[in-house]
Amino acid sequence: MPVLEVKGAHRWFGGIHAVRGVDLTVAEGELVGLFGPNGAGKTTLFNLIAGAVPPMEGGIWLNGREVTRLAAFRRAQLGIARTFQIVRPFRSLTVLENVMASVPSAMAERDNDADDAMAILRTVGLAHRAHDLAGQLTLGMLKRLEVARALALAPCLLLLDEPLAGLTTAEISELLAVIVSLKSRTSIIMVDHNVRQSLAVCDRAVVLDSGSVIAEGTPAAVRRNPEVVRAYLGEAVTS
Amino acid sequence: MAESSARRTAIFGIVATAAVASLCAALPWLGVSAYLRTLLYYGAYYLALGQAWNLMSGLTGYVSFAHGALAGIGAYAVVIAMNAGLPLWLSLLCAAAATALASLVIGLTSLRLRGTAFTFATLFFQELVLLIVRKLPFVGGPGGIVLEEILPAWLPYLLMLGVAAGATMLLLVIRRTRTGLRILALKDDEAAANAAGINATRLKLILFCVSAAIAGATGAVHGLFASSLFPNVVFAVDLSIVALAVPLIGGAGTASGPVVGALLYVVIREVLQVIAPGMHLTIVGLVLLVVILFLRDGVVVALARAIRHRRALPPALAIGPEPR
Repeated sequence: MPVLEVKGAHRWFGGIHAVRGVDLTVAEGELVGLFGPNGAGKTTLFNLIAGAVPPMEGGIWLNGREVTRLAAFRRAQLGIARTFQIVRPFRSLTVLENVMASVPSAMAERDNDADDAMAILRTVGLAHRAHDLAGQLTLGMLKRLEVARALALAPCLLLLDEPLAGLTTAEISELLAVIVSLKSRTSIIMVDHNVRQSLAVCDRAVVLDSGSVIAEGTPAAVRRNPEVVRAYLGEAVTS
Repeated sequence: MAESSARRTAIFGIVATAAVASLCAALPWLGVSAYLRTLLYYGAYYLALGQAWNLMSGLTGYVSFAHGALAGIGAYAVVIAMNAGLPLWLSLLCAAAATALASLVIGLTSLRLRGTAFTFATLFFQELVLLIVRKLPFVGGPGGIVLEEILPAWLPYLLMLGVAAGATMLLLVIRRTRTGLRILALKDDEAAANAAGINATRLKLILFCVSAAIAGATGAVHGLFASSLFPNVVFAVDLSIVALAVPLIGGAGTASGPVVGALLYVVIREVLQVIAPGMHLTIVGLVLLVVILFLRDGVVVALARAIRHRRALPPALAIGPEPR
């Protein structure tokens, strides 16, 4: 059974048809890259999956259970964790408290205590800043904190919205290593414009354009797809 | 290390609150004047009301203008219950429960929405309660209601100290709990809190009910103290403004802020009653404006920030040159 199934999802915002009948399946332990130009509907699709906005047509299933009409917090409690395109830390809390504030999903046995939270922070390389206020971290650290907060849910599906944006080359390498290491714990969907490095770690790539899926397959196949090259990649990446 | 330091601060706060409340409770038997006792009573009254507001609005950022009306409901409920022959403890419990129930009317309709919807709902509620109470004959209509039993003067005094100390301790404790973390998280970013699995609407509703119950208990004790309740006084918007001014001046969202705010408010009110009677709310409004403009997060937070800043400076800068 797939971890996530999205069937025929549609979403309009006024006259804009942001997501047009998208079908998407994610298997257990799979890392799926979601690509496309700005305005392709990637973040809207994330919002539909995470429950921030409901789809107007179509449905969403998590581990075979329909979650289409469930609120965001209920989906999180069922195991859908997410990060945000623009980081949204709890700035008045410490790094450790940010992780401890998360409500673990039904798959976790109990609430995270300080030791559990520290172990999660070690995973993302933030243990040394555990007692600092989140508002004092650099962007690269905040991105890692968002991943840590998502991991505190013990998720079965992790949605990473542009985790590499704004990071230095060294920070990108560090965070990608963390993301790859998480595949043993959870399925992942990652949106990012850093196509070359993202494709290198994905098991499968899905490309959206104007709200529709225009290509899907292995990273190598997607890289060669003429429609993807025309709509998004251009010649430089494919060569 | 930081966690144990925070725990030590909370324990110190609780012990200090209990010690000060015990000392104040003993004062009537140590020969203090009735005037000083009354001042302390009002200090405790504004502190309890401020902490009730602080619990909801200070911790979540959802500004309530209904805490005066909620206290008024508590006052009416206790007097009605006691006049019906219920014992004191049960009457106080009824008052807190009635107020919590009333808060559900506001909360269920507006807490699913963000900020301003809740604030407008509380303002509307404040006026609605006054209109309803003035029309109800069984609570005395516009003429009000009188407590039939005569209580000893020390009883409301001790009860108010208890409510104020209890509410302050609750603030000290809740900030150190997992629930407290989640409340602060939803204040920082509600959408991110939802994504972290926090049921923000339920949390806000529970918090508002508890906050209303404290406001109700505060109002109930004040009902016993005043013993004659007139709707135009009990449900005047003034009390709701005081309920938010006290924590805002001292430091909203902190446990010690309303303590400082209540002390300052009682002093300002007393001085102004002599030099400019009827002007105290205007002056309090100006003080609030000055605090918001120059101290932003209140007196306590500004002081703590200044002390931290001074400690962080290198010794030469921290001491500074001697004035010539």
